[in-house]
Amino acid sequence: MNDLLTIKGLTVRFHIYEGIAPALQDLDLAIGQKETFGLVGETGCGKTLTALAILRLIPPPGKIESGTIMFNANGGSEPVDLLALSEPDMRSLRGSRISMIFQEPSAALNPVFTIGDQIAEAILLHRPEEVYQQAADAVDQRLANAAGPVSILARPVWSVERRLYRQLARNPESVWLKFVGRVPLVRRLLWRISVEAEKMAAEALKDVEIPDAARVVRQYPHQLSGGMKQRAVIAMALACCPKLLIADEPTTSLDVTIEAQILELLRKLKVDTEASILYITHDLAVAAQICDRVGVMYSGTLCEVATAEEMYGNPLHPYTKALLAAVPKPGVEPSPIRGFIPDPLSLPPGCRFHPRCDYATEMCSKETPTMREVTPGHLVACHV
Amino acid sequence: MELRAYVVRRLLLLIPVLFGVTLLIFGLLQLFSPVQRASLYISDPKQLANLDQIIEKYHLKDPIWKQYGTWLNQVLHGNLGWSKVATMPVDNAIWHFLPSTLEIVLFAAPLIILGGIYLGTKAAANKDKGWDHVTRVGAIIGWSLPTFWLGLMLLMIFYGFFHGLLPPERLSTSVQITVDSPSFHQYTHLHTVDAVLNGNFRVLVDALRHLVLPVITISVVNIAFIMRLMRSSMLESLGKGYVLTARAKGLDENTVVNKHARRNALIPVLTISGYLLASLASGVVITETIFNYRGLGWLAWQSAVRLDIPTVLGFALFTGVLFVLTNLVVDLLYARIDPRVRLGGQAK
Amino acid sequence: MIDFKFIWYQMRRNPVSLAGIVIVAIFALVAILAPVIAPTPAGQRDAYLIPREGYSPVPQPPSWAHKFGTTQGQYDIYYGVIWGTRSAFKVGLAVIGSVLLLGIILGSIAGYFGGIIDEIIMRVTDVFLAFPALILAMAVVAALGPSLNSVLIALIVVSWPAYARLVRGDILAIREEDYVEAARGVGASHFRIITRHILPNSIYPVFIMASLDIGAVVLSAAALSFLGLGSPEGYADWGQMIQFSRNWIVGPPGHPLAYWYTVTIPGLFILFFVLGWNLLGDAFRDILDPKLAKR
Repeated sequence: MNDLLTIKGLTVRFHIYEGIAPALQDLDLAIGQKETFGLVGETGCGKTLTALAILRLIPPPGKIESGTIMFNANGGSEPVDLLALSEPDMRSLRGSRISMIFQEPSAALNPVFTIGDQIAEAILLHRPEEVYQQAADAVDQRLANAAGPVSILARPVWSVERRLYRQLARNPESVWLKFVGRVPLVRRLLWRISVEAEKMAAEALKDVEIPDAARVVRQYPHQLSGGMKQRAVIAMALACCPKLLIADEPTTSLDVTIEAQILELLRKLKVDTEASILYITHDLAVAAQICDRVGVMYSGTLCEVATAEEMYGNPLHPYTKALLAAVPKPGVEPSPIRGFIPDPLSLPPGCRFHPRCDYATEMCSKETPTMREVTPGHLVACHV
Repeated sequence: MELRAYVVRRLLLLIPVLFGVTLLIFGLLQLFSPVQRASLYISDPKQLANLDQIIEKYHLKDPIWKQYGTWLNQVLHGNLGWSKVATMPVDNAIWHFLPSTLEIVLFAAPLIILGGIYLGTKAAANKDKGWDHVTRVGAIIGWSLPTFWLGLMLLMIFYGFFHGLLPPERLSTSVQITVDSPSFHQYTHLHTVDAVLNGNFRVLVDALRHLVLPVITISVVNIAFIMRLMRSSMLESLGKGYVLTARAKGLDENTVVNKHARRNALIPVLTISGYLLASLASGVVITETIFNYRGLGWLAWQSAVRLDIPTVLGFALFTGVLFVLTNLVVDLLYARIDPRVRLGGQAK
Repeated sequence: MIDFKFIWYQMRRNPVSLAGIVIVAIFALVAILAPVIAPTPAGQRDAYLIPREGYSPVPQPPSWAHKFGTTQGQYDIYYGVIWGTRSAFKVGLAVIGSVLLLGIILGSIAGYFGGIIDEIIMRVTDVFLAFPALILAMAVVAALGPSLNSVLIALIVVSWPAYARLVRGDILAIREEDYVEAARGVGASHFRIITRHILPNSIYPVFIMASLDIGAVVLSAAALSFLGLGSPEGYADWGQMIQFSRNWIVGPPGHPLAYWYTVTIPGLFILFFVLGWNLLGDAFRDILDPKLAKR
């Protein structure tokens, strides 16, 4: 099977004052091509950490202690172990092959830069040749349509510009060109680059259905509403056509109506682009709407993985069953799960859920259950 | 529209504060007897012979509010009295000594600001690692150093031990003669600038030699101050969401720190720069005293010690007004730089 | 509320803050034991007057009789710096104590009552804060006549606005809390609400700032003494002693550093005193800042 992303044995631990807290324990996860995978769980169970681990952005004092994350960017070719990559290689993946959008759009956008600036930054970082080529084409256009006395004077300038842009398009990493680009006079000649980048940013905004993109591109984050900001964040993430989009609770801070719009947008994007989405949420209903497969996490481990219909129709793990039962429905008493989420520093032995589980047996407190395939595509980690 | 409202409000607040500043100085003034106060109203020492007339004319024995009126009137006409120390009217004295102090500040300010920002950014980016500890220790020591002691120690070493390498005062006597001569045109009265404009290398070198120690002395404390502020501001900025986003975009650490985090971190530092200027003013007094450098600070010291009231109070009034205005400028600059304030406007 | 084990852990991780406590403790010890380690000569009423042996203006290097040497006018440096520790503590604690009192009273009134009272008090603080500290202090001392008491008053005048503002800010934050509302509902008087409910919860940061400032106050007092506006000649005050040494920073040709002890020793005392308090303040800040602490 050519999975896009395969996580095996991922362990993340936090070294803090009170001790060493295991945040993720031996996690196994697989996301296929063009698939939307939902990662569901209560707050603090490690969903965001998983996402950060994929991007290798775990903040200290956390450390990835073991495991492999195989990323298969190009279908048939060699999958790469993300945890073994060098930092520069990892950086070239971030934002271009794997993108992430966060929960709070206001926090995610830098208040002192325009929206266009921030999106263009990603574009210039990962797709510079396209920008330079477009700039060169624009100059070509100018030269072709040139008429009048002004253009006679400007011609040589434009030729130089075109030269520069073509060179840059061919060889974006050239050290010499970078150096030359910093010389004040030459720097001014390269103004078309930012214009083209801004145009591409506006295109990205149009793709996420932001009205009046040309104006929004010049605005600052505080001038947009929550929903618009989140769209802009999505545009920024998709600007370089990533293979994997990680969405960390993107609609949690938005109104329900806006939430519906964003979900609709994501559904559309799912079809238009060829990306897989890792959708993290604590809202089961949302996961049901948009995901192909769903995984349930509890306290740093995966409990159950199945397709959406299987999961909701035939839940096997006691935690999943309890979660579904806890959702308020009209006419039915909600039944909360008894007990509390365990403190990472003093986890219960064996299965982490067993103190709160109605079906717990002797073995549950002694041995940690591993994932086994009960029916094809439906994996559970439980002794029962 | 929000920006305009902000500016107007700021300007309106200016008036009562300026008023208060004059009131405070006036209050201090009232601690003296009418005879002593008389010297504030004259512009020529010879007039002191007619003391009674002066007291009568300026209502120096009349009710307070009347006195305040006359005094304020005087001040607004630019007459701050006669300076014993400078042997010229106070306002002339301030004008006369200003360029010297300006020269020190001109060299010290960029050093302080750029140095402080750079070191603070570095320290925050390398938190708890070697560089951070070194700069933190350096900053704490710099912050605890008595400026006057530092100046004296530097003088002891560089002037005493190194046989006059970096001397006190403004210029060596021989060079002073050159500067005072008619062939040397003093355009700005800033010796370094004038030397360049006159093409006189010797004067330039000498002036710079005399400037090194005062500039260092006054900069150390302030660099430490800015550095600590920048560091904590950067740490706060680095913890924000947009930094994580920037990293997730694939930007290298350098760009994340210097472009994204720093620009946000600079905003609170800018607002504090009003305090920095005040600190510079105080520092200048001590520095000029130590190095016998005849500038405004030296003037302030001499007049305080010799109880030359018009000069002391005139100088205090001058600095008070100056800083109220500078703080206004800083506030306006801040409004311009932060797009949230500049553009106002909320979401649609 | 104060977890000692945690504080100890933080101290171990940050040896620099430990140094702060040690330094301040040493100075406190010196100040307390001053009469023992630097006994006042018999018959001298004011212990703060430095004893002098002779009247020669030339400073004498350290010797058995004068452990740190003598400064201009034959004042014993050792005696001066030891008793100078005492006067430093005196100045620091007196100024900070008064400023705290003033600041708390005015700040609480401004913060609690709000409205026009708040505006007026804030404008007043603005006026005081408009002046650079040293310059205002100089003006006040000049107006009152140079002496140690004038220095105290000048420093109080200069420092109180910052505290009033700080207290006001804290009170504004707490004023809207529910338990204040509850107290008001029960019918407590304004005074009672302020003293028993609001103040205890907002006081901590103010005390931290105060402890930091002791160093800064002593530094300013030393500066004023150095400029000649503080204690009179012969008084045991660090700034005063450095002022004395001004004429002697460059020795005779051939021995340029001959009189180093007149400048260096009092200066080092000031440096370490202020350093200790600054380190202490930094340590407090690190410990009590929840964000930075749990790492």
